[in-house]
Amino acid sequence: MAHDDDDHDVPAPNLPGLSRRAFLGGTAGGAAATGLFTLSSKARASATSPRVSGPGAVPITLDVNGAKRTVKVEPRVTLVRALREELGLTGTKVGCDRGACGACTVHLDGEPALACTTLAIDVGGRKVTTIEGLARGTTLHPIQQAFIAEDATQCGYCTPGMVMSCVALLAENPRPDGSAIRGAVAGNLCRCGTYPKVFNAVAIASGQKPDGGTLETRGTGNAAAPPPGTAWVGIAGGAVTAEPRTVPDSEAKPWPMNGGLAVVGKPTARLDGRAKVTGAARYTTDVALPGMLHARRVVSPHAHAVVKRVDTRKAEKLAGVRAVFVVKKQEGATLVDPSTEQNGTFPRIRYAGQCVAAVAATTPDIAEAAARLVEVDYEVLPAATTLDGAMQPSAPLVYPGPVNLGGSAGGGGAASGLAQHGNVRGPTQQNEGNVEAALAASVHKVSGTFRTQVQTHSPMEPHGIVADWKPDKLTVHVSTQGTATVRDELATVFDLPRTKVFVQCEFMGGGFGAKFGAGHFGVVAAELSRRAKAPVRLILDRREQHAAVGNRPSTLQQLTLGAARDGQLAAIDLVAHGTSGIATGAGVGWAAAKLYPAPAVRTRQFDVFTHAGPGAAFRAPGMPQGMFALDQLIDELAERTGTDPLELRDRLDRDAPGGTATQPDRVARKLERRIGADKIGWARRGKPGAAKGPIKTGIGVGTSLWRRIVDMDSACEVRIARDGSVQLRSSVMDIGTGTRTALAMVLAEDLGLSPEQIDVQIGDTRWPIGPASGGSKTLVGITPAVRQAAHEARTKLLAAVARKLGVAASELRVVPGRIEAIGDPGKGLPWKQACAAIATDEIAVIASRPSDWQGPSANGYGGVQFAEVEVDTQTGVIRVRKVVAVQECGRLINPLAVQSQINGGILHGISWALFEDRRLDEATGRMLNANLDQYKVLGAKDTPVIDVVLLDQYVGLTNTDAHGIGEPANVATAAAVANAVYNAIGVRVRELPMTPRAVLAALRKGNRS
Amino acid sequence: MNNFEWVQPETVADAIAALDHAGAMPLAGGVDLLDRLKEHLEAPSRLVSVRKLAGLGEIAVDPTGAKLGANVTLARLAADPALRRSHPMIGDAASHAATPQLRAMATLGGNLAQRPRCWYFRSEAFACRKKGGTTCFAQDGDSELHAIFGNQLCAATHPSTIVTALLALGARVSIAGKRAREVELASFFVAPETDLAREIDLAPGELITHVTVPVMAANLRTAYTKQVAKQSFDWPLVDVAVALAMDGRTCRQATIVLGAVAPTPRRATEAERALAGVTLDVMAAERAAHAAIAGATPLAGNAHKVPILEAVVARTILAALAGTNGSQP
Repeated sequence: MAHDDDDHDVPAPNLPGLSRRAFLGGTAGGAAATGLFTLSSKARASATSPRVSGPGAVPITLDVNGAKRTVKVEPRVTLVRALREELGLTGTKVGCDRGACGACTVHLDGEPALACTTLAIDVGGRKVTTIEGLARGTTLHPIQQAFIAEDATQCGYCTPGMVMSCVALLAENPRPDGSAIRGAVAGNLCRCGTYPKVFNAVAIASGQKPDGGTLETRGTGNAAAPPPGTAWVGIAGGAVTAEPRTVPDSEAKPWPMNGGLAVVGKPTARLDGRAKVTGAARYTTDVALPGMLHARRVVSPHAHAVVKRVDTRKAEKLAGVRAVFVVKKQEGATLVDPSTEQNGTFPRIRYAGQCVAAVAATTPDIAEAAARLVEVDYEVLPAATTLDGAMQPSAPLVYPGPVNLGGSAGGGGAASGLAQHGNVRGPTQQNEGNVEAALAASVHKVSGTFRTQVQTHSPMEPHGIVADWKPDKLTVHVSTQGTATVRDELATVFDLPRTKVFVQCEFMGGGFGAKFGAGHFGVVAAELSRRAKAPVRLILDRREQHAAVGNRPSTLQQLTLGAARDGQLAAIDLVAHGTSGIATGAGVGWAAAKLYPAPAVRTRQFDVFTHAGPGAAFRAPGMPQGMFALDQLIDELAERTGTDPLELRDRLDRDAPGGTATQPDRVARKLERRIGADKIGWARRGKPGAAKGPIKTGIGVGTSLWRRIVDMDSACEVRIARDGSVQLRSSVMDIGTGTRTALAMVLAEDLGLSPEQIDVQIGDTRWPIGPASGGSKTLVGITPAVRQAAHEARTKLLAAVARKLGVAASELRVVPGRIEAIGDPGKGLPWKQACAAIATDEIAVIASRPSDWQGPSANGYGGVQFAEVEVDTQTGVIRVRKVVAVQECGRLINPLAVQSQINGGILHGISWALFEDRRLDEATGRMLNANLDQYKVLGAKDTPVIDVVLLDQYVGLTNTDAHGIGEPANVATAAAVANAVYNAIGVRVRELPMTPRAVLAALRKGNRS
Repeated sequence: MNNFEWVQPETVADAIAALDHAGAMPLAGGVDLLDRLKEHLEAPSRLVSVRKLAGLGEIAVDPTGAKLGANVTLARLAADPALRRSHPMIGDAASHAATPQLRAMATLGGNLAQRPRCWYFRSEAFACRKKGGTTCFAQDGDSELHAIFGNQLCAATHPSTIVTALLALGARVSIAGKRAREVELASFFVAPETDLAREIDLAPGELITHVTVPVMAANLRTAYTKQVAKQSFDWPLVDVAVALAMDGRTCRQATIVLGAVAPTPRRATEAERALAGVTLDVMAAERAAHAAIAGATPLAGNAHKVPILEAVVARTILAALAGTNGSQP
């Protein structure tokens, strides 16, 4: 056979040693000896034998987006790698590289195909269409247009693949029904929860009615500005009063309610929608710097081990390897007394997947080969891999003595100095009143043991970093929720001044709490770059993603409520254990302790160390777990007292036991329960388990509670240039929430502009430092800073215009598109001409977030969610058919973005309630389902119809009163589903996930209330 | 992935010749094989592309039955109008497999030849019995996805759902190579007791070329159900295919195939016997379903599959009777 291999020097370890020359000069005998070609009397060989290509790189021609492109790649290179790395078409993303997530969807001859599971050399003459090839010039495909108009993007990482699947559907079926639409994207995973709006986009693009769910905003308030010295307080559409507030003269003044604003509060398409639907948005995985190397980690296959020897010589000798790094510093917690552990040269291994070493090489394949050449000798030790097992006194110890864990960047974590016995650390506790006595005296006692599982964050874009260590500065591109958190950690670890560390992240593909700080892998990448004197890209693969960079800890909760005859709470007693692996922070939040007041409250929460990957803050840490238990017991209490579950909650949801409800979240929840009950059809509820037949439906309610967290490290810069262009700069991130657009809306409002006129520059530590995106505190922090900067910039602008017009600046005001005299609109200038009056080249103002105004505390907020489910009592399969969410989050900046967040939180909640489960092999501590098909993430066909009702709530604490919504969207859902399941089948499922196995077990046991 | 040579033959004979080479493996759609290469479960020195081989990409329906080329994609099996009319259960099973993208890429031959999804087998870190080791890790480990029958040596299940439907229709498979042959599809699957190292009776250098199914008798009623926990892309909890030869309301003969419950697809012979010559109603279906789970030997983690299987067998029998085709919306 003709042999086509241009590169003699490429190592081909699996081939018999045979050079090209030897083959061409060989005899028939020589050919037979190599086994390359077998003569058989029965074989009908073709006239020309097929050509053998590779294993070295060979030129292949691909028809990509209508153009012939030639690349030179080894046969093993997948199409996605050829597109991204060789052709620079980075719109097609890698999510799992195993054909399970759909992020790499392209078309081959118009049919959907997974580029990660296609060899470039196998494409042949088939026409390849990528996301970059959909638009005709600047005219987007109708699907792309619909995605923008219907707000069907969030972080955007799944979007190219999602769009490609939708385009393929419409090409084959121009008017697909709802079932066909859902089926067409059943192979495209979205972690942010865009599915309902994707369905709507396809429906609209095909001229049909959308059916993904509805959005309603209850009231936007009147148009009046609050009287001077006051701010509006109340829920728009309800009782709103002007409360006295003292605002310093130098600060931006309170706004009217949204009814009186031009931009804020209006559903607004995302400014970055076009970039996401065209594949133009650049993520960390898309960054390619000149001379960039590719890194790969060497990780332990053992959950608990002492590393005896690490030999990197073979790896170092491999051609193309430029740097090797062996981990010498301990990951995880620090021992209070380090002498209690003897490890030798290398840190103790405490989980399967822990990093031992890393290599950087010129290609990803060489890096992988080099990593596999690193030899590690482990002394394997017994491991504690389950929560229950680790709690036993005889369990293998994760840490030989007490440890403290400095915050795992982004939360989780527990207080230092807590007691530690074996693997059990804690408790974190609170104790009010006399719980024992109160329980003993209670007329009603409801109690339950609840279990929830470990859930991995599984963002569609894995953790990744490109680190560029130069002699005078360190620049990193990193997928992060907080650029400043990465900068600060790298500066600390490498002992650099912060001014020499630069962090950039323009777009990131989801984090949910796991992407704060540099991460161990980030430090490794920076170190490799330092050694190699070249940029180094390290992207975790999906297996590493599951194991090493965070998860929602598991819980085992024992919760008891004591109540009076009418259900008034007398006592709350909670004991909770959970495992965050080698880290701390396995709590169940404060729902039990704070949601409904009681005279006696005792909570004791413990961390249990296991030999497993560290937990990290995950979308409302602890709260969904705690609410899963609390809301079910409240329903039990309602049943016990013969009260409707909503009525009981109304009774309990007071500022103090038996008192009134004046706190804003309590006021809101009462209204939300009524609105939601009406919308879901609460009156339709049957008795638990009463329905005939094996398929039973039920409706349940869940409660959401979250804290208002204020991050004063919130600053931004506003620049107004002489030509009228406006720029906003901050290091703050948009993690798919729509922050970019919200910032533009806030600034546009105060400058009389439209959001498209604002150039928003975020995700860069060169800009003023904004809050990290976590804790649902982003808008709470940054929007007042934006208004403050706008206020100061506008003041300067008005001064310039005043000089030009010969009036006092106090006589001028901003209206849409103009600066004009109050009471004399004719005397004014349109925006551009007004800016031309600026004395210097531009006005540039940096402002920090002003302090909250003094007013009654509005420390909590959230909402109420109702779920309708269908349970098949013979198979145990649960399907959620509909969710109604009624929520408040302060002043609504962009209702469309809030709706997306609520959709996402609900879908996370259902996915956690029904499907996800990090499975560790008990014997070895290895994660068994470290992929995206057996680690089950909710997909399109599991998505219920979601109806969202938003309350516009004003608390008069800041100049925007904006709150976050990402986490409150997630807290209630699993509880609502669990209560709905009880209503359907009459037995309680007290463990998550509620898989068929769990449901059938509960039915068998008859877990009655 | 390891590095390999690439050969793209045009004829079956050339493909066989190219496969006759130590370390050579055929690549069709690549849906399963590339996964296994990326996980370092296999490291072929040569991949022989069989995707475009002449004569293997057709669906031919005629009065004797249907002949399905090994390179026909699952998407085409699901969509072909003639096949939908002649053997609706095949398209039904194909349309519920995997995802739209995977169905467009995956071939019938590759689907038959795919290897188990047992998470111990799929992980390089576990040297299980199937890979030459001495332990089946699922036995004492996490067995949630695993077999409830015939699981003493190896508890992995054959992951193909198309096969369940094909077997209920009496399919045959054609193989090219040194030992060219056409055999009953049922005999193509290899139990762990026979040979742990492989799941199908296909030697290196051989190639699946066709699957044929005989024409369905006029009185044959069929239904297929893939029972999943998650609706979008999930491996089956169980899948069941039923073919009933009816005489009025009496079942003359039943063929019931169970998938995802044993290392090879399983004929529920006890259930079939319970239906033979019986007037079919709900009670008969439930009796047969109960017979189908007799002899199940669940492991610690998968006892739930037993009642689920029972329920699905009963439902599928009744769906075949009603002509509603079973499966899930």
